[in-house]
Amino acid sequence: MEARSFWRGAFLAIGVVAIAFAVSSTHMTGQSSARDARMPGGKPNLNGIWQAMNGANWDLLAHTVRPAVSQPGVYANHPVLAAPVLALGSVGLVPAGAGVVEGNEIPYKPEAAAKKRDNAEHWLDRDPEVRCYMPGIPRAMYMPYPFQITQSPTKIQMVFAYANASRTVFLEEAPKPPADKWMGHSVGHWEDDTLVVHVTNFNDRTWLSRSGDFHSDALDVVERFTPITPDALRYEVTLTDPNVYTRPWKMSMVLYRQLEENTTLMDFRCLEFVEEPFLGHLRKNQLVKHWEGDTIVLDVTRRIPEGDKKYER
Amino acid sequence: MKISARFLLVFALVAAATIFALIQGRTRALRSGGGAEGQARTAWGAPDLQGIWNTNTFVPLERPTQYGTRGTMTEEEHAKALADLQDRNKRPGRDSRDIGGKPGQGTEKDVARAYNEFWFGDKPTKLSYRTSMVTDPPDGRIPPLTPEAAKRIADKREFLAALLQGTSGGRPGPISPRRNDPSPDYNLDRINRSDGPEDRGGPERCFGDGVPVVLGTGTFGGVMQLVQSPDSVSIYYDVGQGSGYSWVIPITNRPHLPANVRLYRGDPVGRWEGDMLVVDVTNFSDETNFHGSRENLHVVLRLKRDNANTLSVQFTAEDPTTWTKPWTATQELEKTDEKTTLVLEGGCHEGNYGLTGLLINTRAAEKAFREGKGPDPATQDNATGGGDN
Repeated sequence: MEARSFWRGAFLAIGVVAIAFAVSSTHMTGQSSARDARMPGGKPNLNGIWQAMNGANWDLLAHTVRPAVSQPGVYANHPVLAAPVLALGSVGLVPAGAGVVEGNEIPYKPEAAAKKRDNAEHWLDRDPEVRCYMPGIPRAMYMPYPFQITQSPTKIQMVFAYANASRTVFLEEAPKPPADKWMGHSVGHWEDDTLVVHVTNFNDRTWLSRSGDFHSDALDVVERFTPITPDALRYEVTLTDPNVYTRPWKMSMVLYRQLEENTTLMDFRCLEFVEEPFLGHLRKNQLVKHWEGDTIVLDVTRRIPEGDKKYER
Repeated sequence: MKISARFLLVFALVAAATIFALIQGRTRALRSGGGAEGQARTAWGAPDLQGIWNTNTFVPLERPTQYGTRGTMTEEEHAKALADLQDRNKRPGRDSRDIGGKPGQGTEKDVARAYNEFWFGDKPTKLSYRTSMVTDPPDGRIPPLTPEAAKRIADKREFLAALLQGTSGGRPGPISPRRNDPSPDYNLDRINRSDGPEDRGGPERCFGDGVPVVLGTGTFGGVMQLVQSPDSVSIYYDVGQGSGYSWVIPITNRPHLPANVRLYRGDPVGRWEGDMLVVDVTNFSDETNFHGSRENLHVVLRLKRDNANTLSVQFTAEDPTTWTKPWTATQELEKTDEKTTLVLEGGCHEGNYGLTGLLINTRAAEKAFREGKGPDPATQDNATGGGDN
């Protein structure tokens, strides 16, 4: 009887140890599998590589397919692809988007609305994204490139593939910046499972989209990141700027975690590539032969494929 | 002695719980590095490397030859070296109007020095007893170049000399027939030509610093901010004139990216070895130049917190096409007060009116020359000014 109890106890012990080992082993295989949904301390685990999957960077409001750069077509409301993107065909189109703005309206003051329209007309000349400049907040969050979150209890660092831009969200006291910043100054706190970030100290140089949406240096941004699932975040952002908008307005969208094995953040290094469009006219010997002064004139050569020609006779 | 079944059962459960706790502890140690007592740890048990780090204690990268294979100075040597450092700090530096001992005022070099000393801030006043950051090879010096690298670098030097030929800063002679040749390497140097952006150096094009970073001392030396999570270490280097950058090190056992993928700051892959973060970096591009090494550079970075206020940053650099053997250097960084220190975003590219100006002015000078209103820009030295030279 006593011997049986001993062995029963011993087997139980071995069993418990084996299960414990099996459970702990699953944690040893690295970070790519089984990411904990919460950090030690209980906050949601935002670590990883994320990306928006909407057309907000093209246009914050609901829109249908249209040329990225257009010229008037036969019908006034049906423009066709224009020179800078003409040869791209369907690749030169803006995808349709359901819009991310609450009420589908940005409350521009009248003069600001006019400036927005003017910006849109001169998109390629004015959009800071075209020049590979830092995108600012909130635009960085919904550009069509991934970003990586490194989350600690005191700071949350976000690094964006686009232009190597980054931001630090301070969860503890930090000094105020001595000057305005392209990416603003972010101070955050947790409200239950929602990360709330207040962003200030902006300059007036960044835009909100490729459609000319803009702000002034009085911009004040409040962001709310709320997990919907461990791999999806509701991202809500309220913009206040009395110089440009008649009232605060809000965008809402979802940020998705990249779940590919071995996904890694690779820089979208655009710096060198914007030298030709913006400094090309200052070369001693032109690469593109169609600079007229400081205006680039693009002749687009597109040859109809041989195979298509028989249908054109 | 009679042992009751209940006692045995309790004993077995206690034993199991103990073993479970031990294994959990070991697992955590394995996941995060494990190791020394007293090591600051994150909430998830990893060594805590976080903070804003810099250094105000000067250590030369390479060892002055007088110290031979000695890694540290004697008291006497230190006192003398410190006096030399303080003496050097008193020199006018870029504010000097003398160039090479001759009055420089109004010369091309004087104009080309661009910034005065004000912009370089406070100089380092503390001096380490360490004779060099380089710890291997034992002489504390970067190993000799391979014949192939020596030729590569000599070819480039000859190209730079050719572009200066016949100017006040170059050897005598007519304008070189190589004047319009492409650079033999992807140019990152300050060359005496501004035909297009590619002729200007990396800093003038706002390329940003590369990997690894050796922080300087004094106000202008730069700082690094390190934020850490269980699966990544995110570093922001606030260095140079807006040439800072973000660098995310994934903690992963994935292999390196395919060899055809070349990244300006390489492909960092991090892992914990004990209390040390080890980062293996490959896949560099030819757009950075680390002491002569370009796309074949292989860096192993080792970060370890020596104590509450010291982060040891060690790198081993290897490139068989550049150096005859690998070399290792260590820099000790000091923790700064995060309540008063804020890293600032770079913004070099966003404010780079300088590059535009360099090209505009060169085109204007060419036009003036064509119209008989100025000298041939090819005979002007716009490359060797600045500094104490």
